[in-house]
Amino acid sequence: MINTSTFLCILTRSTIAGAVVAASVVIGPASANKDPVTPKQLKLYQEAFMEEVRKGDLLFHGDAAMAEQLGVKLSTTGWACAMCHPMASDTHPQAFPKFQQSMAKFATLRDMINWCIEKPNQGEKIDPESEAMKALEAYITWSNTGSVLVPGKY
Amino acid sequence: MSDELDRIRREMHAVLQPPGVRPDDSLQITRRTFIHRSLLFGAASVGQTFAWWPLLNTIDVAHAAEAPFKFAWISDTHLYERSLNTRFVDKVVRAVQEVQAMDPPADFLIFGGDLAQLGKIEELELGVELLKDLKIKKYYIPGEHDWYLDMGKKWGELFGQPNWTFDHKGVRFIGLDTVSRGPDYWTAKKMTPEERMGHMATLDGTVAGAWAGVGREQLDWMQKTLADWDKSKPIVIFSHNPLYEYYPPWNFWVRDWREVNDVLKPYTKVTNIHGHVHQVLYNEIGSMRSIGMLATSWPWPYAPEGVPKLTKPMIRVDPGDPFDGVGWETVSVNADDKVDVEYIMWGRKEVFVQSPEDHDKSIEEVIRPRVADNQYPWANP
Ligand SMILES: [Fe+2]
Ligand SMILES: [Fe+2]
Repeated sequence: MINTSTFLCILTRSTIAGAVVAASVVIGPASANKDPVTPKQLKLYQEAFMEEVRKGDLLFHGDAAMAEQLGVKLSTTGWACAMCHPMASDTHPQAFPKFQQSMAKFATLRDMINWCIEKPNQGEKIDPESEAMKALEAYITWSNTGSVLVPGKY
Repeated sequence: MSDELDRIRREMHAVLQPPGVRPDDSLQITRRTFIHRSLLFGAASVGQTFAWWPLLNTIDVAHAAEAPFKFAWISDTHLYERSLNTRFVDKVVRAVQEVQAMDPPADFLIFGGDLAQLGKIEELELGVELLKDLKIKKYYIPGEHDWYLDMGKKWGELFGQPNWTFDHKGVRFIGLDTVSRGPDYWTAKKMTPEERMGHMATLDGTVAGAWAGVGREQLDWMQKTLADWDKSKPIVIFSHNPLYEYYPPWNFWVRDWREVNDVLKPYTKVTNIHGHVHQVLYNEIGSMRSIGMLATSWPWPYAPEGVPKLTKPMIRVDPGDPFDGVGWETVSVNADDKVDVEYIMWGRKEVFVQSPEDHDKSIEEVIRPRVADNQYPWANP
């Protein structure tokens, strides 16, 4: 355990050192992502992520205004995702992709989200690339922060 | 388990289960119950746990009933208006038909709360209409979904006093209101009744807070109600929420479980039957045993922590079948003075997990409360 984390630590440091060297030789706005990350940037990235989590949270809990804003109809039964999945429990994003019995196919989390929208919720399935889908995915994965990846597990 | 919950859990066991305290031995724990004595103290591994579980789905509780009888329990129908959702209606109709068909008939029905989804007049009246087909005597206790649109006005008009008591064939029955005493989370934030109800109707919300409780005056009433009751005679208490602490973030508890225990402590044959959790649940707390009932509407998953060790969990359900994981219950008192609680889960022969993979927690998860509550206008400054 100690050996592994020490090794990871060394690995991380050398990566950072490499990035610093790379950034010092390449200058200019086109290569801004080669610059060392600043606290300001980190904050922006985090805010961008949390904004999607927030939208996903609202969608997941059946918020009509957010559904309208993102142009989706996730349910026609009054049912919302959170009614079977409080705190996004039992969504198991850490187990996807996997063979999903309910769909009888190898499925991603996005497939599963659409299945739930169409079947129990009787809503209209959404574009897998849409902001609504990404927001739902963001909320579900964020809610399961700390869960251990077990891809494929039933 | 979080440190705070761990602390509370330890306290609960210290308060409620000092060495030697258990439900009365005359309750006759048998192979047909979920209980295994070795599990009462200390944890068991998943492997051990699955090894001993019997396959039968009844609980035997012996008591000194004067004559055999049965009653039925339905709860958590969460009715929307009929035009919006007919599935929930179909399931109430089915439960009502099945209870009506019981032979011999049930002496009475307990409706355990959450008749409506959003507390609307139309929803509550739809519930009354659907249950009208059931001709036996009916007793109602409220759920939080019935209450927080108009603060119990319509519910009271339809069903009267939310807490009550009656004696039946040697058993004292008590119905409690564990939902109406939520802290005022709406006035300061100037919520509309619909917004207040919306937060209450969100199980994993944080805005409504720790709303489940019995309250001092109802505890006093319960104490008075039991004062003339022999300490060794059976008591069955119905409540919407469990009368112990299982998972506070979802109000799978009452916040004043310590005081409840103080009132019940002298009585040796207490059974609590509750709704709200929409799942099979069993626990022993002090000298009381507690049994969680199925919803007709939908099953909640088990909470991420705090599931009582004595619970034999229900089977992981098929989300494509609206009749899976839900149903109703019979409670029968037979000639041997035993009470059987039987789960009628539609679409399943096996109500309980048969292997670790049948459990909805077979995939371990770490989850957290939602984020949207922390934002304007609901967040506390
Ligand atoms: Fe409920
Ligand atoms: Fe409830």
